[in-house]
Amino acid sequence: MNYINDFIYAYMCTIGFAFLFNVPKNSILRTGFGGALGWTIYSIMNYYSDSVVISAFIASFIIALMGEVFAIREKQPVTIFIIPAIVPLVPGFGLYYTVLSILEKDYDLAIKYGSESLLIAISIAGALTVVLSLNSYRKEKKKV
Amino acid sequence: MLEVNKKEVLLLALYAGEIMLKNGAETYRVEDTITRLCISKGFYYTDVYVTPTGIFMSIDDRKKDEVLSYIKRIKSRGIDLNKVAEVNSFSRDFVNGHIGLNEGMELLQKIDELLPYPHYIHAIFGGVSTSFFALLFGGNLLEFFSAFITGILLTYALNILVSIKFPPFLTHITGGMIAGIMAIIFSLSHPLIDIDKVIIGSIMTMVPGVAITNAVRDSIAGDLVSGLAKATEALIVAASIAFGVGFILKLWTFITGGHLI
Repeated sequence: MNYINDFIYAYMCTIGFAFLFNVPKNSILRTGFGGALGWTIYSIMNYYSDSVVISAFIASFIIALMGEVFAIREKQPVTIFIIPAIVPLVPGFGLYYTVLSILEKDYDLAIKYGSESLLIAISIAGALTVVLSLNSYRKEKKKV
Repeated sequence: MLEVNKKEVLLLALYAGEIMLKNGAETYRVEDTITRLCISKGFYYTDVYVTPTGIFMSIDDRKKDEVLSYIKRIKSRGIDLNKVAEVNSFSRDFVNGHIGLNEGMELLQKIDELLPYPHYIHAIFGGVSTSFFALLFGGNLLEFFSAFITGILLTYALNILVSIKFPPFLTHITGGMIAGIMAIIFSLSHPLIDIDKVIIGSIMTMVPGVAITNAVRDSIAGDLVSGLAKATEALIVAASIAFGVGFILKLWTFITGGHLI
């Protein structure tokens, strides 16, 4: 039941961001599914494993896969499906807390937040890169 | 092969690249689009170097002894994915030869002047995303409504500040201060409302999570300069938000006592 709530909240959150980023009207509802599914998988993974980094990697892997499927079907650039969908996962708050703890002169906390947000950013970016470069490799092969 | 004007092709490709880069397309996508546009008109020697702050390109048709180069400085960057999608489909049509050069320039101008969603829609959906974000982070119903109102106010204020070209650093500081003030007001109005949850939800629309992720993506892809530039931008944005929120909270804890985190 919790996960259904998560799905709905993340869906609304992603749709809000899709409007803020001016995603074209007919793609907005689809964009929401990527974000919602990504966040649900992230929270399920978080429940069973204790590594935020792996959960973020798998969730963004799924987001990128869904983005590619939508992009091929809709003939739109994959960016418009991926950028709003990764928003709930990305470590914006980690970065904010890092600077806030530096302002508070709590450097231990700053290192904790800073390294965690860098690792999450690397795992999300890594997952997106794996999917996107596999797909562009597939397209190159198809041409030859 | 038809004889085409080298300079016109270069200007068109550059304009397309500029629109994409200004509106949040990735570095490799901009380079790819510019190269494709030029190659489709027969300029096989085309080299482009794109960073978030500028485009450098040169083209050569290997017939006469001249190379054309161009530098374009990009000053402001935002995210408008609609324009990226439009330029993307434009470049597909152009490469397939459905669009001529002059017609193409007019089409690009039209894409550049496309309006984003109006301010009030941005404000409402800014409120929607901030409030549901507060719920995702375990907020209760009261915090949901406070984050919704703060989000609407914040997004509207940021939109206005961006549209009057207020300095970006000051814009984010102002955003952080608005979030801090509203959170304190709401937390005073009801004991169940927690300052942290309201702030977490409402600054969601400003925090540079997407920027830092894109920075790492660029670095992995080998565009090291773009990666560093974007990471710096993300750090500056995070610092300015923390400065705004921190200033208000510090003032508040100075009056009432307690700690920031």
